[in-house]
Amino acid sequence: MEPLRLNKSVKAYIFLILVAFSTTTYGEIELLGELSIEIRNFQNEGLFGQKKGHSSYTFSPELYFESEGGKDFFSIKPKFREDAEDNERNLEDLQELQWTHVGENYETKIGIRKDFWGVTETAHRVDIINQTDAVESFDGEDKLGQPMINLSLERDWGVLDLYALIGSRERTYAGKNGRLRMPFIVDTHNPIYESSEEENKIDFAIRWNHYYGDLELAISHFSGNTREPLLIPAQDGNSIKLLPRYDIIDQTGLEALYIIEGWALKLETITRSGQGDRFTALTTGFEYTQTGIFETTLDLGWIIELNHDDREEHSPHAIGTRFSFNDIDDSQLLLGVLWNESTGETNVFIEGSKRIGARSKLSIEGFVFNGGKKVKGNNFDFNKANPLDFLQEEDFLRMELTIFL
Amino acid sequence: MKNISIKKLVFLAIIFLYSLLSLADDASKGLEIAILADKNTEGFIDSQSSMEMQLTNRKGNVVTREMKSKRLEVAGDGDKSLIVFESPRDVKGVAILSFSHKNSSDDQWLYLPALKRIKRIASKNKSGPFLGSEYTFEDLSSQEVEKFSYRFLRDEDLNGQPNHIIERIPLDPYSGYTKQIVWIDTQNYLIQKVEYYDRKSFHLKTGTFSGYKKYLDKIWQASRMEIINHQNKKKTVLIFKDIAFKTGLSDKDFSQNSLKRSR
Repeated sequence: MEPLRLNKSVKAYIFLILVAFSTTTYGEIELLGELSIEIRNFQNEGLFGQKKGHSSYTFSPELYFESEGGKDFFSIKPKFREDAEDNERNLEDLQELQWTHVGENYETKIGIRKDFWGVTETAHRVDIINQTDAVESFDGEDKLGQPMINLSLERDWGVLDLYALIGSRERTYAGKNGRLRMPFIVDTHNPIYESSEEENKIDFAIRWNHYYGDLELAISHFSGNTREPLLIPAQDGNSIKLLPRYDIIDQTGLEALYIIEGWALKLETITRSGQGDRFTALTTGFEYTQTGIFETTLDLGWIIELNHDDREEHSPHAIGTRFSFNDIDDSQLLLGVLWNESTGETNVFIEGSKRIGARSKLSIEGFVFNGGKKVKGNNFDFNKANPLDFLQEEDFLRMELTIFL
Repeated sequence: MKNISIKKLVFLAIIFLYSLLSLADDASKGLEIAILADKNTEGFIDSQSSMEMQLTNRKGNVVTREMKSKRLEVAGDGDKSLIVFESPRDVKGVAILSFSHKNSSDDQWLYLPALKRIKRIASKNKSGPFLGSEYTFEDLSSQEVEKFSYRFLRDEDLNGQPNHIIERIPLDPYSGYTKQIVWIDTQNYLIQKVEYYDRKSFHLKTGTFSGYKKYLDKIWQASRMEIINHQNKKKTVLIFKDIAFKTGLSDKDFSQNSLKRSR
């Protein structure tokens, strides 16, 4: 199990927030929680003999308070996950432990929290504040809490956010018995850092965003430990393991979104230095919604997103259709394909969800991977492989029931 | 023959002009009534309320949703509004910020608390059901006078009260309606009933407004709204609670940062 790594500065924050808690007169207090039970069924056994059936549960209580004057807000939200097969998928994380103070024309947010940047749906290029909890789901949208001091200035010219990021978090990777995993185990206990301060290094970020009528714009810069480590092969007895290497990077990002009638045109692009040559990556596309089709309450949303990444010869593109049934249970279904024209790989996915009663929700997710070459253990050649080769046996269906407490 | 045709022509021209004038007259009378009705909500400065939405299906089963709403009057433009969902629990904290405009389409942002993400959305898609109810976002958004053209139809009693009946046609091409017939009482100029005609001019829904109360000596606010869908026989009731005006809200309470901490 990945322990809660709390370095000195984080401890100082916790102390500061506790002081703020104890000196505030409270208005609203809320205690909430979520409990999810997840079952994943794979069509075949894994390449390394991993089981077909995997299950886990996640528990995330939340305590929220507000000061009487409505100027200070506190939230504490831990998250615990336990997986029946893979120890590396167990998690104890503080998603939130934060104090927000609202001033006359600024806000400060101190503590552990999450912040999202970006406009696109199928890839998130610009988003960098939080580390990805990559074993939680395949879409990479689940994040780990990030300790920070954030000053947010909201003026006529937009919102300017300044961040001091107190230390960084390490990405989660599946273990030996876990799925989906790579042909080699990522040794998350022996990461390599470029910085001598390792994960305690203080990083900085800045983002400006504003809108001009139907145009939304954001420009950001991040300087610090990468959230996307390179995986370095290393000898491990007779076999090979991978060590995550966290280099110091500089990344500048641009986000643009333009609304024209029912269309949302989107662009996210970054340029990053610090991990080998400077590279550029971008995702661009659109989302278009048709409301009330076939004289029903069904809405159809079309998403097409194209990718480019200097690090890859060809990047996959994404096309998806979202069905919003607009019924009492808020039923949704998303069908999509990721395809790579150069490798011929396609990856078909389905995501659906439906409310059950007032306090629970059922989600399903399915992935089918096609077109890659089958991989046999140590014969895997990183230089010749296609990105999805190691996922050939990993077709799965996932069901999750979430109960809101 | 010649004389007769000229006479006829003159007669027809008079009829035509008269009907044009009366049409113009109906239009200006309709607009006048709409302006008087709008006066009842003018000068509210800002407001806050809790809302309970009761959704009844064809079989009579009822489910409830709760939300909070804040509104701010903007001088010379449409209102700003923030709606935060409280229940059902899976959408708790989801919020919609909208800036309504008198002469252009509205600006709208959706906040998704699980992802901590603000998403700009196309306000064109306002004709879809709001939270699975029989209301659409369009029905619940700020009904600016400038968003419709008007025509006075007739006077008629409704529940024993004399009412003006006007027709209003949405000017927004993305409206879900071709027209709405509105009952406005002649005493206080309060909207009592609206019939909604869909894109095929079919009488789709009827909305009623009741429990009007006067605030700040000039603002009238209904405490209960009900809408019946004649096609699917479903009903939605909206009950407003804890209504307060002039609560000291400002632009800051309708900003991107406030959207992120709305709950």
